[in-house]
Amino acid sequence: MVRTSARRLVGRLPDRWHRTLPSDLRADLRRRTGQSSPGDLAHRPVAPAPAAGERTGPPDFAVLGAADAGAPWWLSLVSDHPGVAPGHRSADAAHYFAPFATDRFGPADVAAFHAWFPRRPGRIIGFWAPDGSAHPWVAPLLYRSAPRAQVLVLVRDPVERLLDGLDHTAADLGAHPGTWLSDAVDRGFYAEQLTRLVAVFPRDQVRVLQYERCVADPQGTLASTYEFLGVETTHPARPLEAPAPAGGRAASTLDPGTLGRLRSMYAADVDALSDLLPEFDRTLWPNFAAPA
Amino acid sequence: MVRRALRRLPAPVRSTLLHARGDYAPWEDGFDFLPPPPVPGEQPGPPDFVGIGVQKAGTSWWFELIVDHPGVYHRPGIPKERHYLSRFVTGAFGPAEAAVYRDWFPRLAGTITGEWTPDYLGQPWVTPLLAGVAPDARLLVLVRDPVERFVSGLNFRLRMGAPATSATVSDAVRRGFYARHLQQVLGCFPAGQVLVQQYERCRVDPATELARTYAFLGLDRFEPGGLRRLVNVGGGGPVSLDPGAADRLADLYRADALELARLVPSLDLDLWPSLHRGSDRW
Repeated sequence: MVRTSARRLVGRLPDRWHRTLPSDLRADLRRRTGQSSPGDLAHRPVAPAPAAGERTGPPDFAVLGAADAGAPWWLSLVSDHPGVAPGHRSADAAHYFAPFATDRFGPADVAAFHAWFPRRPGRIIGFWAPDGSAHPWVAPLLYRSAPRAQVLVLVRDPVERLLDGLDHTAADLGAHPGTWLSDAVDRGFYAEQLTRLVAVFPRDQVRVLQYERCVADPQGTLASTYEFLGVETTHPARPLEAPAPAGGRAASTLDPGTLGRLRSMYAADVDALSDLLPEFDRTLWPNFAAPA
Repeated sequence: MVRRALRRLPAPVRSTLLHARGDYAPWEDGFDFLPPPPVPGEQPGPPDFVGIGVQKAGTSWWFELIVDHPGVYHRPGIPKERHYLSRFVTGAFGPAEAAVYRDWFPRLAGTITGEWTPDYLGQPWVTPLLAGVAPDARLLVLVRDPVERFVSGLNFRLRMGAPATSATVSDAVRRGFYARHLQQVLGCFPAGQVLVQQYERCRVDPATELARTYAFLGLDRFEPGGLRRLVNVGGGGPVSLDPGAADRLADLYRADALELARLVPSLDLDLWPSLHRGSDRW
């Protein structure tokens, strides 16, 4: 009783009070007062009811990262197509599979996932999961829920991606830097992630796009994306410029020794990616222009 | 007494109080990496051995047994886990940084010394640095049934105050891909300088396995007391793995474990029953 009241009281404190606390303590208090966020293991959001005339079901396609490789930008271009429903690009939907790394995943959970994808007849709809490639339990659960989904993965020069990724997670480095650094580094081993992905999804349901190609030739790459998704290859009317860089350090600012070590770290994986993807263009990744 | 009282507090409160008085663990941002000054008779130098993995596989127990050997020196107060090399992902690592690392390893004449940072195995930027600063070091790895390790490691992190999020789970999953990480290590160190042992085998027959470790480190035979005194054991935690999720994890790990058995012929996969569970069970 006392504990419940205390939790309620803490939960009602203004945000500015919470912000004065260290982030670990703040997060702990938030959990103890029953609040959760997308990505939390305890977070089980319910999809809003579909509007009149919409039906729900498995997504027709999925964009599984990689983080900091332009996936949200590309999805927004894809969703401009009149044959593609806008979908819920909320964090709740994006992190739907987070709790099921350790929990039972049954038919009711599949149905609850489908509820996040309302579309009108004749339109397709996509699922966006920025962690979908990096979190290895996601692809098997997605396949269980949407076995016919077409899967898109964007990849970007892993050194450049790492520098942007580190920049984004820098605020979280306080608790245990090694963990966050490992996570940021790990997300650049694309061949390994792709190998796991095609062990679950048929290879012809998976399309890997180089972010740099999307930037250099958005019209052509978007047309081939539409073709892959089975919609008419018309082009959206709005401009196709890539978003501004995220603001992370450029690889060229690293000292030569560090840059050399990062290239060596990823070199074998980039070679493996090149073997897996006939369309892979090394020249778009100057850090790896020649095989290791 | 103060430390005992602190241990009873929730982890985030505990760490907030410790940080307020400038007390940080080596794996936390804020730890002072200024090496301890040598005391008379000690000489710093590169470590003779470095344990590089894995978390929740008995590494504290095994490290204590190693430093029990009279031929091994470990000054009390210096942490078993240095974590020093973990920070140099994008930072420059030159002669000055290498010298600081070596200064963390004081030893008396005629003895060897080392550390055991379980995170190193899963941090692919570390082993090239280690090969540069301590090319003759012998590397030790203890591995454990990856599904069992996952549960133990995840609950350990949650008890330590990590947020119960998919990022924390992902870290726990990632640490179990031993072969993938070991392959990267073997690109930097000769196979003869790396010893991989199984936690389960150490539990069953610690005397024989410890003799293997001592021999690998060039130490004479020795029988320490308290061979079976495990440290940092158990503690439980909020997460219990659903059987279906355990099967899915086993499916993820199986190929990697088979590759590990190829790299380490002495590995006995029968000691990892989690990997023998039926696949495709939902």
